[in-house]
Amino acid sequence: MRSTTIGWLMLAPTLLILTVFGVVPFVYVLVVGFTDWNAFAADPTAHFAGVENYRRLVFDGQFLNSLWKTLWFAIFAVVSQVVLGYFLAQLLMKDIPFKGFFRTVHTLPLMVAPIAVGATWRLLTVPGLGPLPYYLERWFGIEYRLGTYADQAFLTTIIMDVWHWTPLVTLTMLAGLASMPKEPFEQAQIDGANKLQIFWHITLPMLKPTILATVFIRMMDALRTVDEVWMLTGGGPGAATRYVGLHIWRVVFPKTDYGYGAAMSLLTLYLTIVMCWLLYAALVARRELPKAE
Amino acid sequence: MLTKKQRRGRWMSLAFWIAASVVTLFPIYWMFVVSAKSRVELFGRPNFIIRNFFVENYTNTLADPSFQRYLINSIVVASSNALLVTTLALLATYALSRYKLVGKENIFFWTITNRMAPPAVFLLPLFLLFTQAFTIGEWKLYDTRIGLILLYCVFNLPFAIWTLRSVIDGIPKELDEAAMIDGANTWQVLTKVILPLARPGLAVTAILTWVFAWNEYLFAATLTSVHARTITTGLAEFVTVTGTNWGQMAATATLTLLPALLFLGLVQRHIVAGLTFGAVKE
Amino acid sequence: MRSRLGTRAAIATASVLAAVSTAHADFWSDAAAPYKGATIRGVSESTPPSNYVKDVLGPAFTEATGINVEFEATSWDQMYDKAIKDMEAKTGIYDFVYIEQDIIYSYLARDFLVNISQALKDDPKLASPDFKADNFTTFINYFKNADGDVFGVPMEAFVKVYLYRKDLFEDPANKEAFKAKYGYDLAPAKDHKQYRDIAEFFTQWGKDNDQEVWGSTVQAHTGHPASWYEFFESVDPTFGVYNWGINPDGWSASEANGGAMNSAKAKAALEYWLGLLKFAPPESTSSTWDEVAASFAAGRAAQGLVYGENAAWIATNADKSNVVGKVGVALPPLEDGVLQEVEAGKGYIGYYDGGAFGIPYSSKNQQAALLFLQYIGQASVQADWAVAGSRITHQATYDDPKVKEMDAKTDGYFTLMKNDGKLFAGAPAYPFHAQVREATAPFFYEAITGALSPSDALDKMAEAAEAELKNLGYRK
Repeated sequence: MRSTTIGWLMLAPTLLILTVFGVVPFVYVLVVGFTDWNAFAADPTAHFAGVENYRRLVFDGQFLNSLWKTLWFAIFAVVSQVVLGYFLAQLLMKDIPFKGFFRTVHTLPLMVAPIAVGATWRLLTVPGLGPLPYYLERWFGIEYRLGTYADQAFLTTIIMDVWHWTPLVTLTMLAGLASMPKEPFEQAQIDGANKLQIFWHITLPMLKPTILATVFIRMMDALRTVDEVWMLTGGGPGAATRYVGLHIWRVVFPKTDYGYGAAMSLLTLYLTIVMCWLLYAALVARRELPKAE
Repeated sequence: MLTKKQRRGRWMSLAFWIAASVVTLFPIYWMFVVSAKSRVELFGRPNFIIRNFFVENYTNTLADPSFQRYLINSIVVASSNALLVTTLALLATYALSRYKLVGKENIFFWTITNRMAPPAVFLLPLFLLFTQAFTIGEWKLYDTRIGLILLYCVFNLPFAIWTLRSVIDGIPKELDEAAMIDGANTWQVLTKVILPLARPGLAVTAILTWVFAWNEYLFAATLTSVHARTITTGLAEFVTVTGTNWGQMAATATLTLLPALLFLGLVQRHIVAGLTFGAVKE
Repeated sequence: MRSRLGTRAAIATASVLAAVSTAHADFWSDAAAPYKGATIRGVSESTPPSNYVKDVLGPAFTEATGINVEFEATSWDQMYDKAIKDMEAKTGIYDFVYIEQDIIYSYLARDFLVNISQALKDDPKLASPDFKADNFTTFINYFKNADGDVFGVPMEAFVKVYLYRKDLFEDPANKEAFKAKYGYDLAPAKDHKQYRDIAEFFTQWGKDNDQEVWGSTVQAHTGHPASWYEFFESVDPTFGVYNWGINPDGWSASEANGGAMNSAKAKAALEYWLGLLKFAPPESTSSTWDEVAASFAAGRAAQGLVYGENAAWIATNADKSNVVGKVGVALPPLEDGVLQEVEAGKGYIGYYDGGAFGIPYSSKNQQAALLFLQYIGQASVQADWAVAGSRITHQATYDDPKVKEMDAKTDGYFTLMKNDGKLFAGAPAYPFHAQVREATAPFFYEAITGALSPSDALDKMAEAAEAELKNLGYRK
C-alpha cells in the first residue's frame, strides 16, 4: 500500500498556489458581491447590501442576454473545434507528404496572442481596408459590416475562435490518438469490423478522456473569452457579441460597479461550474457503461 | 506498395492540407502585408503583394527600448511558468492517479474551477494582494516577473492537470508497481518509469502552458507597470482598441509572433519525438 | 529622410535642456537636491503628447534634477483602470496620473488628488518662478476646484472641429453641379441641412466618378463609447441640448422629469446624425475617433467632425495622410439660435478636449512629482511640444513662430482654437461620467444598428440614466 502522506505532499504545492491565488481572491469577490460598492457613487464606500445584487441580476435583461449569447457562442465554437480537430488529427496520423510542415502551419494560430488575434481579424474585416468585406461584396454581393449586422458579427467571432483554437484540439487529440495501443484496432480488423464500427466501439471510448478534457478546457475558455472579441467588435454591434466576460469587464472597469460586477461574476462562475459538472457527470457515467456490458 | 485507393487517399489528404494551410495562413499573411504598408497605402482595393516595404512600422517598434525589455520578460515568464506548471502538474496528477486520497475526485474537479472564473472582477483582489499583502518592506509582488509566474499557475495548473490526468491514468499501474518491487523509490518511479512514458503528454502540456502564459494579456496589464510588462501588454500599448496606426499595430503583432514561432520551431521536434514514441509501441 | 525616433528624441531633449538651462538652471537643481536619486512613476494614455513627455521631457527633467521618471504609457481603458485602482486602494504606485478632463470631477469628488496650488504655497522652496497658472489657457479652469486651486497641470488640449476637403469644395465643376441641384452655393456647412446636402452630394459624386469618397465621416462604432461621445459632445449641443440633457436640479434626464436627454431637440439631433450614416464610408460603424481621422486622412470623406489632435497630421504629414494641403477647418454646423444661446453663456457648440497631470494623494514622492509637473508646465517647453503633439495649453504658445507656421499649414486650426475656443466646452462636471455613459450606451448602439428607433433609444437612455443616477445615490 502506498503512503498517502507522500501523495498529499506531491499535491501540496498545487493546492497551496491555487488557494493563495485562486481561493483567496474568490473569497474577497464573494464578500464584495454582497455590497453596493461603486467607486464613484454618491457614497463611494461599500455597504452590506444582502442579496440585493443577486436579486437585480435575475431581472437584468442585459446580463441574461449576454449569458445566453455566450452559451451559444461557446457551444457553436467548441463543437466545431472538436469535430474539426478530431478530423485533422486523424489526417495527421496518416502517412502524408510534408506532414511536419502542415502540422507546424496548423499550429501557428495558437502562437498568436488573443489580443493580436482580435487585431488581425479586425484588419481582415474592417470595410475599406480588409479583404473580407471587399471580396464578399464583389463576388457574392454580401454587404459585410461587422459594425452593423449582429449575425455577421456573431458568426465572425465564432469563425475567429475556431481559427484560433482548433489547433489546440488537434494537438491534444493527436497526443491522445498517438498514445493509444494498436492491438484493439488490429484485432478489430481481423474480426472484420468496418470503419464506423471501429470508430464507435474502439476509438471513441478510448479517446473519450482526451475529448472530455479538451471539451472542458475549450468550453470554459470560450465562456470567458474577452481579449479577441474586445479587439474585434468591442461587444457590438449593440450587444450582439457582448459575451459575459466582456460584459463583466465593462461593468467593473469603466463603470467601477464593483459590488454588482462581483455578484455577476460569481453567478456566472456558479453556472459554469454547474454546467461543467453536469457535462462531466454525464460523460463519466457514459464512459462507465461499456464496462458494465 | 500502395494500392490505388490508398494513393488516391494520400492525394486527397495532401490537397486538403494545402487548402487548410491557406485558410490558416491567410489572416497571418494579411497581417504581414498590412505591416509592410504605410498609412496612405492601406485603403482601397486589397492588395496582397508587397511592393515597397515600409520599414518604419518595424523600426518604430524596435527602436523603442521598452520593447526589448517586454520581450525578455515574456520569455522568462512563459518559460518559467511552463516549467513550474508541468512539474507541479506531473506530481499532482501522479498523486491523484496512484494514491488513495480522501476526496480526490472532488479536488480534481475543484482545480479546474479555478480556470472558469471570468477574469475581470478577480483583478481587484489580486491587485490588492499584489500591492498590499505580498510585500516585504519596499518590495511588492506587484510588477514582478515572479508574481506573474505564480499567478499564471491559477489558469495553467488546472489545464495541465486535466490534460495529464488521462495520460498518467493511461500508464498501467503494474509498471510502477513492478519497479517498486524491484526496489525503486517513488522518485525513481516518477523519473525512470512515468516520465519517459508520459513524455508526449508532458511535451504537449508544457508547450500549451507556455503558449497560454505567453499570450495572457489582462492580468499582465493590470498587475505590472514598468518593469515586468510583457509583450502582449506592450502590444496593447502600441495598438490599443482605438489604434488606427494599423501598419505599426500589424508590425508589432508580427514581431510578437516571431519569438513564439521560433519556440514552435524548436519544440516541434519534441512533439514529433513524443508522438512517434506512442506510435512505436505497436 | 526619416530620422530614427531615438535620435530625434535625444536632439529634442538637448534643445529643451538648452532652452531651460539658460533660464533657471539653478532653481531645478537646488529645489530638487533633497530628492535627487528618487524615482517618480506616472501613467498616461499612449498618445503623441504623452509620448513626448516620455521620450523628451522626462529625460530632460532627470538631467536637470537627478530625479528619475518612469513613465507608463498604455491604452485608454487600462490607464483609467490602473490609476483608479491605485488611488482607490491608496497603493501609491503612481506619483502622477493622466487626468482626462471628463474624469476630473470623479477624481475631485473622491479627493484622489493633491491640491497643487496649496502644496506650492505650503512649501515655497518647491515653487518654480517659471510656473504660473495665469500662463495657461482657460482650459486650466477645468482642473480647479471652487476656490480656484489647481489640481492638474494641463498637458494637452484640443477642440473637435469641422474638417472639410478644400479641393473638393473649391472645384468649379462641383460648385456648379451643387448649385444646380440644391440652389445655393457650395461652401462649408453652416447648418445641419447644408451639411446633409453636402454629404449627399459628395456621396453621389463618389459613385458617379467611381471614387471611394463619401459625404461625411461618422464616428459610429457600435461597441465603443466613441460613438456615444460624438453624439453627446459634438452633435447634441449643436441642436441646443447641452450637458447630455441631464438636469443637475434633481439629476433628471427624461423630459417628463425636467431633463432633456429625450427632448424633441435631442431626437431631431439623433435622427439627423443617424441619417448621415447613409452618406458615410462603410467602415463608420466600426469607427472610433482614430478611425474617423484615418478615414478622413485617407481621403474617404468630404467632410467630418474630427478631434483636433488629428487636425495637424492630417493636414501636414504626407507619410500618414493623402489629403495634405487639402484640408479646410471650420466651426461645426449649428441649428438656428444655438450660437446666440452659446454666446449668451447658455451652452457650447462642441467638445474642448484634453487632459492634465495630477498627483494622487497616495503618492509617496509628492514633492518630486510637484517639481515634475511644474517642469512640464513651464513656458519654455511648450512650443516644441505643440509642434510634436498639436496640443496647446499656454496662451503664449499661439504666438510662437513654430506654432504659427503650423497654423498656416492647417488652415488656421490654432487660430480657430484661439479665437473660438471659448465656444467649445469640456465634459459636464459630473462625478458619474463613466457610469451614466456605460448605463446608456447599449441603447445608443442599438439605435445605430437600427434595432431601436432614435426616439425609442433616447427614451430608454433617459430612463436608464435616471435609474443609474438613482442607483448611485445622486438622484433621490
